[in-house]
Amino acid sequence: MKAALRAELFKQRSTRTVLGLFAAMVGLVLFVTLLHGLGLSAENFDGTAEQITAVFGWGEVLGALFAALLGAISMTGEIRHGTIRPTFLVNPHRRSVVAAKVWASMLIATGFGLVAGALAAGAGTATLRARGIDVRLDAGDYALLVIGGAAAAALWAAIGVGVGALVRNQVPALVGITVWLLFVENLLVGDIAGIDAVGRLLPAAAGRAISGQAPETLLAPAVALVLLILYAAAAAVAGSLAASRRDVA
Amino acid sequence: MSATRPAATTTDPLSREPVVKVTSLTKRYGELVAVDDLTFSLEAGTVTGFLGPNGAGKTTTLRMLLGLAEPTGGEALVFGRRYHELDEPARRVGAVLESNDFDPGRSGGDHLRALALAAEIQQSRVDEVLELVELVASARRRVKTYSLGMRQRLGLAAALLGDPELLVLDEPANGLDPVGVHWLRNFLRSFAEGGRTVLVSSHLLAEVAQAVDQVMIIDRGRLVAAARLDELTGTGQTLEEVYLELTARRAS
Repeated sequence: MKAALRAELFKQRSTRTVLGLFAAMVGLVLFVTLLHGLGLSAENFDGTAEQITAVFGWGEVLGALFAALLGAISMTGEIRHGTIRPTFLVNPHRRSVVAAKVWASMLIATGFGLVAGALAAGAGTATLRARGIDVRLDAGDYALLVIGGAAAAALWAAIGVGVGALVRNQVPALVGITVWLLFVENLLVGDIAGIDAVGRLLPAAAGRAISGQAPETLLAPAVALVLLILYAAAAAVAGSLAASRRDVA
Repeated sequence: MSATRPAATTTDPLSREPVVKVTSLTKRYGELVAVDDLTFSLEAGTVTGFLGPNGAGKTTTLRMLLGLAEPTGGEALVFGRRYHELDEPARRVGAVLESNDFDPGRSGGDHLRALALAAEIQQSRVDEVLELVELVASARRRVKTYSLGMRQRLGLAAALLGDPELLVLDEPANGLDPVGVHWLRNFLRSFAEGGRTVLVSSHLLAEVAQAVDQVMIIDRGRLVAAARLDELTGTGQTLEEVYLELTARRAS
């Protein structure tokens, strides 16, 4: 297992994929945070929850998204390029390969989540202050955004590996993850009356809850953390079973 | 090798246990029978050509042998075990199934290093195999800049990382220029001279005939011939004539 993990970490840093994802994430976090911070009218920034939803929470949302993409690519990239064959020849214990991908992706995703959360916190605070708006977050809110965001990213990376192993085809896997995280769940948790009770139990909502977003609608951070761990474990196990049972083309 | 003909009794004590033993191996994809009740075994120190038309089931057989595909029936053993039961598979078996199983954005050297890390093989061995396939100068370049011949050699380098006793190659001559084919042939001969075993599939008969000492021919998933090359061509027929006769399809 240690050898498999070392190999997976090396794979992640021996192409430019992770660096590219990281750069895209950083750019997007800054862009979205600044755009919302500068563009929205001041009445959107009345309370702590409003400020987090409008500006600061984007660190977690985008950190989780890019973490999930990173995890998925670690699986689908190997299938796409055919390196899955030598990978499984060298280590025919496919569950250990998938597990190594989960841990390696979670480790790197933790870094993604920390950076995304810190960037959103820094850029958001600077932007609001520049507009003369009182920032309502205290140290605890900031800490939850950054640390909770890192936890959400790590767990979403595991979900990404599982989805990648189940879907196998890279484009549908990445599009599916992106659409789910940015669009589908927002519809289910958003304004449509009466389904918040179910919607908040979904994985992207759990990720947002871990970092302290929308406390009136979403679960408490600790509960959401447990829930997202369950999602991540389920996805990793399902992906692992799929990878072990299916033939490699 | 024992298949349609019984194996010649060998006097070599080292080769008592066959390196490869395939028994009633079958693979069905729905209605399609890709591999049909295939039985053969390979002794140590031999180079075996695995021949057949495209779609005959060669690749499927190799994938089952290497644990990448699950047989529908029968079994395929290497060194007496199923592939995933081998303790350190990379040190027993090396294989190249496709000529382009690389991430184009990773360097050739890093491709080998990732596999070496997974197999707990020293970096010094990575340098050795790079030397062996003459890719030292290109090791730091990304694979997307490699020619087809370089990719073939990189694949071979990966298969050789663990200094295996059995080498399995699927269509290694595809797309190689004459120099590459010559290099490959010499390599296979010298590999087997040390008592090691090669199983090489191909539909390119001329390339194979000069490098192997026995052939298996399969057609539509079934073994239609298995013999020493000199036995098969002993009647004055060329390998090509024998092959065409055995794999001739009924006019529809």
